[in-house]
Amino acid sequence: MPERRASLRDRVALWAIVAVTVTVSFFPVVWLALTSFKPAADIYAWPVVFWPSPFTLENYLTIIRESRELLRYIANSFIVATATTALILAAGGLAAYSLTRLAYRGRGVVLIAMLAVAMFPPIALLPSLFDGFLRLGLLNTYTAIVLGHTGLYLPTAIWILASFYRTIPMELEEAARIDGASTLRIFWSIILPLSTPGLIATGLIVFIMSWNEFPLALVLGSSDAMRTAPVGISLFPGEFSFPWDIISAATVLAVLPVVILSAVFQHFIIGGLTAGASKS
Amino acid sequence: MKRTVLLLLAVLLGAAAAQTNLTLSIGVRGFGPAAEVLIEQCEEDLGVTIEWQRVSDVPGESRALYVTNFSARNPVPDVLAVDVIWPGDFAARGWIAPLDEYFSEDELAAFLPGFAAAAQVDGSTYAIPLYIDGIHLFYRADLLEQYGFEPPRTWEELIDQARTIVDGEGDPDLVGFVSMWAKIEGLFMNYLAFLYGAGGSFFDADGELAFDGPEGVKALQTMVDMLYQERIVPESVLTFRPDDARILFQQGRAVFMMVQDFVLDPLTAADSPVRDSVAFTRVPVFEGAPADAPSTVSGGFLLAVNAHSRHPEEAADLIRCFTSYDAQVTATLVQGKVPVRPSVYDDPRVQSERPVVAELGANFNYALTRPSAQTGTAYPEISEIMQTEISAALLRQKTPEAALRDAATQVRFALP
Amino acid sequence: MRRTHRAGVLLLLPAVAVVLAILVLPVLQTLLLSVARNTTSVLQAFDFAGLANYERLFMTPRFRTAIANTLVFAGVTVPLELVFGIVLALLLNRNLPGRWLVRMAILLPWALPTALNALMWRWMFNTEFGLFNALLQGAGLIEQRINWIGGIPIAMASMMAVSVWKTSSFVALLLLAGLQAIPREVYEAAEVDGANAWSRFWTITLPLLRPAILVALLLRTMDALRAFELPFNLTDGGPLTSTETLSLYAYRVIFQYVNFNLGAAAMVVQFAIIMVVALLYIVTLRRDPYA
Repeated sequence: MPERRASLRDRVALWAIVAVTVTVSFFPVVWLALTSFKPAADIYAWPVVFWPSPFTLENYLTIIRESRELLRYIANSFIVATATTALILAAGGLAAYSLTRLAYRGRGVVLIAMLAVAMFPPIALLPSLFDGFLRLGLLNTYTAIVLGHTGLYLPTAIWILASFYRTIPMELEEAARIDGASTLRIFWSIILPLSTPGLIATGLIVFIMSWNEFPLALVLGSSDAMRTAPVGISLFPGEFSFPWDIISAATVLAVLPVVILSAVFQHFIIGGLTAGASKS
Repeated sequence: MKRTVLLLLAVLLGAAAAQTNLTLSIGVRGFGPAAEVLIEQCEEDLGVTIEWQRVSDVPGESRALYVTNFSARNPVPDVLAVDVIWPGDFAARGWIAPLDEYFSEDELAAFLPGFAAAAQVDGSTYAIPLYIDGIHLFYRADLLEQYGFEPPRTWEELIDQARTIVDGEGDPDLVGFVSMWAKIEGLFMNYLAFLYGAGGSFFDADGELAFDGPEGVKALQTMVDMLYQERIVPESVLTFRPDDARILFQQGRAVFMMVQDFVLDPLTAADSPVRDSVAFTRVPVFEGAPADAPSTVSGGFLLAVNAHSRHPEEAADLIRCFTSYDAQVTATLVQGKVPVRPSVYDDPRVQSERPVVAELGANFNYALTRPSAQTGTAYPEISEIMQTEISAALLRQKTPEAALRDAATQVRFALP
Repeated sequence: MRRTHRAGVLLLLPAVAVVLAILVLPVLQTLLLSVARNTTSVLQAFDFAGLANYERLFMTPRFRTAIANTLVFAGVTVPLELVFGIVLALLLNRNLPGRWLVRMAILLPWALPTALNALMWRWMFNTEFGLFNALLQGAGLIEQRINWIGGIPIAMASMMAVSVWKTSSFVALLLLAGLQAIPREVYEAAEVDGANAWSRFWTITLPLLRPAILVALLLRTMDALRAFELPFNLTDGGPLTSTETLSLYAYRVIFQYVNFNLGAAAMVVQFAIIMVVALLYIVTLRRDPYA
């Protein structure tokens, strides 16, 4: 947009839009956090108690004292999301490099095919994945959930990575090849260092997507010990009860990692998401 | 020398036997605190190790787990807690084993007969009762007293009392009656309570569908009228699960509440605004019904043995240990679970520490279970049909007659 | 070149293997399951049932409701998301006061787990204790508390609102790339011609943004047609089945009623719908004069 000196009216309008956007976007999380710091009785009060008074950590302490499985769910999410990210960066990095920089027949088809399989509805995969992992004795293991997530997000990751690789000038590589470097060596010493920002961005996006994934984790990790944070928390309500005091605190803990990652690596994530889209 | 070897062998075998590892699948919070104590005791008594598979307390979720697990003939878990509505279904599918060879008639006779019947399929016993819960009518004793009311015996009285109190208090946040009328299993239980109280039944004596008769229509019409005509039930009740009703009642915002007995612990806790004013009685009947007509619907859990378990005998022993008289006393004292052996209600320890358990137990003399043992594998679908059609009437998408007629058509189709 | 060829295929292998095992083969099995009877795995038993599962499916009113719900949900939310997404993208693309905060505001809804987000909203929608009724009643705007997720059709509207809140920002991020690609000179030229901001938007921004918009619409529509954890956690598909999407219906048929074959048929129908929609978009995109 052209930079002009905006009139006062324009600036007020802009400020207003910004204020509304920020408010609308933040209020559910703010309300969640406020709820989690209220005494349980105030959570169910009517008229609604808006501000925690007294401000209490009791709900968090209850999790530590009585419902430690909730912490386990969050730890599970860390393990699953980290392993998924590692696998995807390894397999996806090589694949995206191969698809964008090495010339052979059919790579365009593969790239399009990757886009097509990314459309598959996850529920359609579940009967087979459930049955297959059960037969392999892998149901309710990290392996099953991690492999599931890797498959689910690999195509998207390859697209994002491919868009990053395309920005690296071909000349560097050709020069190295003339010097007699092997493909793997070129990948390792030239491409990898230059594509680090792309790998970081993709890794962050994959981590967040895996952290948030629901249907596969629901079905492949159905035992209590294997639940990820979204699944564990949404199934936490008992046969009869829905203890919102504990659930709100657990939800805060479970969304904290993705909120922090988004805040710290804002630039990378936005870059990654827009890069993937613009090349599609 | 030979003797030493034999001795050594015996010791080794003994050690091997002692290491039989049983897996027990039971909810984390539903029976968790009691299970923790009992597992330790039974490990010692039986000389086995017990691995506790913590499953969801939401029956639909744990059922999904078992269903997929058993379709694959997984030998684990050896013992599992089954909701009272599952044995018919699970037995018909061959997922749980008959227990007749492990439990004698005398042993079985010690349990509440109405409840144990839920695990009788084709004359065999497929599960042993663990604990019972069921629907009671909770009410605000202070409000009823203030208006000079006795606890209601009939629905007509209840509606009248609720109307009077709500009008008299003039508090826009106070409602007359709450329950669990979201589209869940509890809604079907609710409807059955109204149906039984109107003198109706799901199947008649000849095993024909009977819920779509005049009693059934009266039951459902009453529920609809409580919502829209008497306006003593808030429309939000259509999203209520049991605990939503409990929370509203606990905040002092409801006069009557019909839910399971798990609510007693939170309602009487130190921070509960209604801890001194909550009381309960049996679920009402309709005017003209005999005073001892059953009108409550029980839920609860039983223990069953996986049909593919590698240690069926030890599994049965584990069940015996978990459901023994002493174990039932322990579960009652630790967690306030209502025992399924009526004799436990009179136990001095229970009487002194959990006197309310005997009162709850007395209400189960008027209890019936759901039609799950008779309907076998079709029960989940039948319950779903009933929940849907009852909801449709409560949402005024259909008249009660039409809803029950449609339900009957579909249930007939679903029956084996 | 042969060397490169072999290395290229080799590097591709791990990714292709994973995608085949986790995505392609399972979907093929789902196809086979949908024309089989009483089996959970076609490797174990395959009793060909022809189109019997599909016949039964289309005779089930609940399935037809699920299709309608899914189409309505996608049909309403995606256009709304596009409108909000464009506004947000234009906002993002400017030098704004509090730029970091605005970017955070746009990233946050995308980054939150849908399942937990649904729980948060469910709590705010609560009729008796929820924030929304408290605010509306406090402001004197309503007499009766609103039954946000307990009525027909308001529950569907509530669910749509949550979806629009959650995904408009994703649309904005996708459009931002397109906006940044528009050369500044184009605007400068228009300004010289005396075009105001509004007409610049309609004559320059929107047409040049069209490819990006189509891509965003394509991705969002496919996603909306697959909605699962939102109804699962917000409304449980209710009241009745008024918010039950195809994914939720299929999940229940498969894992609660243990009918893998009927559920597989439902998934194939959903898949077909997604394919048709995707093809429509792609054909439009190809014909686009600006693409």
